[in-house]
Amino acid sequence: MEPMDIVGKTKEDASLPKATMTKIIKEMLPPDVRVARDAQDLLIECCVEFINLVSSESNEVCNREERKTIAPEHVLKALQDLGFGEYNEEVFAAYEQHKLETMDTVRTGKWSNGADMSEEEALVEQQRMFAEARARMNGGPMIPKPADSDSCPSLNS
Amino acid sequence: MQANIAKARIKKIMQADEDIGKIAMAVPLLVSKALELFLQDLCDRTYEITLKKGAKTLNSLHLKQCVQSFHVFDFLKDTVSRVPDLGASDAAAEDRSAAKRRKISEDEEDGNDDESKKARVVS
Repeated sequence: MEPMDIVGKTKEDASLPKATMTKIIKEMLPPDVRVARDAQDLLIECCVEFINLVSSESNEVCNREERKTIAPEHVLKALQDLGFGEYNEEVFAAYEQHKLETMDTVRTGKWSNGADMSEEEALVEQQRMFAEARARMNGGPMIPKPADSDSCPSLNS
Repeated sequence: MQANIAKARIKKIMQADEDIGKIAMAVPLLVSKALELFLQDLCDRTYEITLKKGAKTLNSLHLKQCVQSFHVFDFLKDTVSRVPDLGASDAAAEDRSAAKRRKISEDEEDGNDDESKKARVVS
């Protein structure tokens, strides 16, 4: 259970980290291209809409199969149904890679999730987030979440 | 390039939808990768429009026109609908076609192929 889950979640609360996304968008375009500020924000909104779209469709695929948990194959089918089937090869490859890396973790006992954080940094980050949650529960002020990659498996359950 | 776009945030966005129940652990990763590919496509196609207009800065209007040009982006119509057709850098050339485009946007619900072809031709 992530600390942020304690706070009321509306669709507006959940957006993508702006600084990270801005950087990604810049890297996707040729180096000398500038992006207007409102276009940045709009692109990020489009990303959120994409996630919503894929989620809904995946959910429907899942329901049709009378399963309770949305699984990777549901996402792949959803992408195909939505007209994004050309992504599936790379998406599946990323999934396979993830499975391999997860196996490595179990075997070597190392924290190898492909993230930029070391195990120590991840623990520090985790402690910080728990502290934030405690502060919130105690009626403290909202601490804005910094832009980060958020890719620690232990926080993802 | 970021390998994974904010998996935890993606999961949060997914679960903000009340209809969505449990999500397998690998799912945010798949969505993250799909999102990356989608965003690249969206940027590439929008940038083509930016180039066609001889602009150095990619703006919302280019994005809006991109969405109007490809059926696969239909789900983004509402998101870009509030972008005004006038008021971007090359407003002079837009003036005549803006009125036509605004009308097309309103009629867009039919998904009329002729009309969306018209929108693509306008540059």
